[in-house]
Amino acid sequence: MLKKTKETPLYFLLLLLLILSFSALLSFNSFASNAVNVYSYRQPFLVEPLFEKFTQKTGIKVNIVFAKKGMAERLAREGKYSPADVLLTTDISRLIELQDKQLLQPFDSSVIKKFVPSQYRAQNNQWFALTTRVRNIYSSKRLGDIELNYLDLADEKYRGRICSRSGKHPYNVALVSAMISEYGESKTLTWLEKFKANLARKPQGNDRSQVQAIHQNLCDLSLGNSYYFGKMLKDKKQKKWADGVNINFPNQANRGSHVNISGMALAKYAPNKKNAHALMEFLVSKPAQQLYAETNMEYPVRTDVKPSALVASWGDFKADTLSLETIAKNRKIALKLLDKAQFDL
Amino acid sequence: MLLAIPIIVMLVSALTSSSDLYLHLWQSVLPNYIINTVLLGAYVVVLTLFFGVISAGLIVHTNIIGKKILRWLLVLPLAMPAYIVAYLYTDLFDYAGFVQIALRDTFHWQSPQDYWFFDIRSLFGAACVISLVLFPYVYLLTRTAFEQQNQNLLRAGRLLGLSPTQNFIKVILPLARPALGISASLVLMETLADFATVQYFAVNTLTTAIYDTWLGYGDLSSANALASVLMLFIFIVVFFEQKARSSQSQQKSMSNNQQQLIILSTRQQFLACTFCWFLAIAGFLLPFSLLINMVFEYSTSEQFFKLLASALNSIELALYAATITVLIALTLALFQRFSYDINKTWPLQISSFGYAIPGTVLAMAMLATFGPVDHSVNDIAIYLQLTEPGLIFSGTIFVLVFAFVVRFAAIANGAISSGLKQIPSSIDLAPASLGVGLKTSLTKIHLPLLKSSILGAWLLVFVEAMKELPAVLLLRPFNFETLSTQVYQLISDEMLEQGALGAILIVLFGLFPIIWLNSSNEKIAKTQHREQDFAAH
Amino acid sequence: MPLISISNLSVTLQKNTILSDVNLTLASGDIIGLVGPSGCGKTTLLNTIAGFIEQSQGQIQLNDFGVINTITTEQFISPERRNIGMIFQDYALFPHLTVAKNICFGIAKQSNAAQKTQLITLLKLLKLDDLADRYPHQLSGGQQQRVAIARALAPKPALLLLDEPFSNIDARLRNDLMIELRSLLKELKITAIFVTHNKDEVFSFGDKIAVMTEGKILQTGTPAEVCKNPNSFQVADFLQLGAWLPITTIESNNLPSHEQGATISYHSALGLIKSTLSSPKTKTFSENKLVLLVKPQHLSLHANHDANAIVKNITITEQGYHYQLSSICTQNDLAFTALSFYSNQALHLEQKIAIKLNIDDLVIFAMADTHSLITST
Repeated sequence: MLKKTKETPLYFLLLLLLILSFSALLSFNSFASNAVNVYSYRQPFLVEPLFEKFTQKTGIKVNIVFAKKGMAERLAREGKYSPADVLLTTDISRLIELQDKQLLQPFDSSVIKKFVPSQYRAQNNQWFALTTRVRNIYSSKRLGDIELNYLDLADEKYRGRICSRSGKHPYNVALVSAMISEYGESKTLTWLEKFKANLARKPQGNDRSQVQAIHQNLCDLSLGNSYYFGKMLKDKKQKKWADGVNINFPNQANRGSHVNISGMALAKYAPNKKNAHALMEFLVSKPAQQLYAETNMEYPVRTDVKPSALVASWGDFKADTLSLETIAKNRKIALKLLDKAQFDL
Repeated sequence: MLLAIPIIVMLVSALTSSSDLYLHLWQSVLPNYIINTVLLGAYVVVLTLFFGVISAGLIVHTNIIGKKILRWLLVLPLAMPAYIVAYLYTDLFDYAGFVQIALRDTFHWQSPQDYWFFDIRSLFGAACVISLVLFPYVYLLTRTAFEQQNQNLLRAGRLLGLSPTQNFIKVILPLARPALGISASLVLMETLADFATVQYFAVNTLTTAIYDTWLGYGDLSSANALASVLMLFIFIVVFFEQKARSSQSQQKSMSNNQQQLIILSTRQQFLACTFCWFLAIAGFLLPFSLLINMVFEYSTSEQFFKLLASALNSIELALYAATITVLIALTLALFQRFSYDINKTWPLQISSFGYAIPGTVLAMAMLATFGPVDHSVNDIAIYLQLTEPGLIFSGTIFVLVFAFVVRFAAIANGAISSGLKQIPSSIDLAPASLGVGLKTSLTKIHLPLLKSSILGAWLLVFVEAMKELPAVLLLRPFNFETLSTQVYQLISDEMLEQGALGAILIVLFGLFPIIWLNSSNEKIAKTQHREQDFAAH
Repeated sequence: MPLISISNLSVTLQKNTILSDVNLTLASGDIIGLVGPSGCGKTTLLNTIAGFIEQSQGQIQLNDFGVINTITTEQFISPERRNIGMIFQDYALFPHLTVAKNICFGIAKQSNAAQKTQLITLLKLLKLDDLADRYPHQLSGGQQQRVAIARALAPKPALLLLDEPFSNIDARLRNDLMIELRSLLKELKITAIFVTHNKDEVFSFGDKIAVMTEGKILQTGTPAEVCKNPNSFQVADFLQLGAWLPITTIESNNLPSHEQGATISYHSALGLIKSTLSSPKTKTFSENKLVLLVKPQHLSLHANHDANAIVKNITITEQGYHYQLSSICTQNDLAFTALSFYSNQALHLEQKIAIKLNIDDLVIFAMADTHSLITST
């Protein structure tokens, strides 16, 4: 009797585990049929409304897995049995990384070719942009209306008055890459070193917390993506921070503001290629682009879709026409320069 | 051993790396990162020992007021994920945080030049906050060690001329050294593997370099090499700690006559209470109430139902992870016990080092391990003209559970092998002398005796698995959200307010097991006392 | 000036009175053994003297080489300042320290040279020369005990307390060890109090004995005194001084019973017993039912007499056959059981024999005293 009562829970537990494991495996296999699988660097809650619309329209289910780090490795390890169909990224360098690792395949879509301007898609048709975002400089209202260039961040008159997030963040790395293609390595390094010297505090937080710091009079200038401004204005707690700053489009007098993209690509071994195409084309469709513009405050990649009224109110701007491939190519050098300038230390 | 495979895969990958990246890193940032890493590790170990040992000493050895409440309140910070506490505290003490704003408003300061305030986003700030969350490991293990100490040893110390304080330092602490060593190495591993928390504090450590190398420079094998260096560092520390006490045997005595409580003076009582309550408040009550406050301000019932599905996923994962980890730890520990061979200790040792690998690096190693396995399975299936099973290992929660088992083996191993050490070895022989086989003796004697250790290990792994983030993020199957991934997504967009409900759920799910663990420990302690009372009369 | 004197000491723990009104005085150089059944409070008394338990009443005076320390309820002296050494039942050696470090633990404040001299002396004295660098778990039980003794002696305590010092020692070695330790303590002129539940240990180890029960000291004296004149049934019974023979007083109208030189006669199953009231100490009893302490040497075989006892048990000892006898008639008031008796003559079980009682100093207690004890044990 004693023996029985002692051992039962253990056997029971093992049995339970076995059953659960099988159910887990089965549920995995039941995916297949009419679905499209997305590996996303973007946070799901930003894209889920779009996917819901897509499912409504086509009846294709969207499965999503999100991670900020290591998606490319996961895809590479899975190789030809990978369930991934499409990939969503938040900046250009991730797309190029996927392309360089030969994890993508070209797509053949007249829709994409037609609606996405050629500077925002790969010539080999391996990736394309869904939205664009400007790397703006936010300035305190205390400074009044000013014209700013990225080079001004190294100006000594802002000593101790600039805040920044980590230099290693992809958005900043892309900006540094663009600076390298414009000014060369050594000049960019000097710029970074002087920029670093101007920082009011060690790089920390994200784009929003820099605006908060300006609001708190800790500094006067910071770098930030365009859509954060719109999002902050709509958040009850953050509105007062955003009210304290002006959004500036840098380099308007010369080459234009640095622009990054959020993009999409087709996985090399996509099992549901047809559905993947449907999703890709849907996301550049007018209603989807409008949704991007309205809810995410990003600039739609389609020229015939207007940004949201709020975003439009910040005015038109001149965008840098530097090719995205060049920016991505300079990424490693940019990282090295950031290390050399000890930007984050 | 299976558990060591991902670690071996990582090491092999590290060996194949040959890059000029090291030179660049070495010339630019690496020295700084290394100093930061060593300092962070040292600060956290010193602080957790300081917090944990003193609080355990006060609870066990003095007549501190409110002992019953503090006893378990001090364990609760364990339920708090470090990244959430880090977020809350940076938010609170930052320049733009509530505390500094209040100070500025009160004293009409205008800019940071007008006053001095400690910088929370610094190495020391990070060490403090991490220590506040991790000290319960030290507290728990040390408290148990103190309670099981042979009272006669402490009396001997007193009679040989030591004051209570000297006695604490010269007798009680050295006797508790195994507990201190084990808990400090757990804390060290957890600290060095934790990237998310340190990142909030804008502190760059070796882990930063690992991520930079991998994600920034796209060089996974060099990243693995750096991770191996990190592991080596921990290995060296742990090795020397163990070697230093290898010749000493710790005799455990069950004769736990009534504790000789130190009576505190009013001033000491005040200081002791302040100390313990500070830890309880800073480590748990304050962050918890901040979260609750956010929940009331921002959360809706709709959110709650959405989170329920994630909560079920979290629990499912944690259940698997805890059960399997404990079963493996049990097997290893018993294997070691009955093999009577010094060389057989290595499976237990090696399997413990998974805890020191940063979650994402571990995830990569898992993919590298199971990716090829999946490929061969599918290749065979195609060859046999069966339907392809897909990625049944690396694409399901199997890989997640496996990663958890590798990562948390250290916790379960520690708890179970220390429990096993308390069973006198004569008991191994007794059943044989009664003509009972090994199998029966295990099920009838060792397992029941280990019950509390097994339960303890299970609960600790369960709590940790509920909190674990980076490995889940990268390895999970489609549409598989856990509480921690949900919260993380919001935190990474600086919207913890929206994620507060999820955070609370993580804490609550961690809380119940901890309270249960604590109360069951007390029950066991009580029955032991009762038995001794019977024996005495 | 006694080395320690304890007066009216009471200890109450969690509302339970553990010790009540204990008085004890010990001269310098004496070794006293505290005996009593387990739970009688002897270990508590030791712990109170050491300072681990605070008394609730009474005082302890310690003569620390001329300095008198008085410990009262108002004035507590912490254990480390009492200059008392203690040897614990489990020896309580520090497992993380070597033998040498264990021994020097209490003299860490002295200079290194002084420590070393002291260490060498003690190692030699206790025959531990080769073991200085071992850890306690590498030693045998006897070696551990010697280390514990060396450690306790190193700070030169005024008083040494020993809690069941021999209980963990192999029975075969125990006697030698006791003799060895006793001569060591005598040589070093150390005053010691030790606790045991084994009366034989007191007889071979102690100069004096104190018998305790239920938190009280019943009798103190040299072992010989106590054995000869136990002051209560409990003392005699605990020390197992002999067996108990029920007797009744014969009413004698003529003689006033408490006069000196008077003779009292008792009935017993072994016949009439006469006693002379030789000293005023001899108690008289109001009641009639009494018990007489009978030691084996008081009994002898009585040839040519009616059988009055029956052999119930036989064992062989170094002193010849050991018999346990019962009375033939088991129903009346004078029936006895388990009288011990040694003889070289071989008897067999259930054999009816006649025995004779030769006894001079009668140790008699009222039967009523025995009941409380018998029922409680």
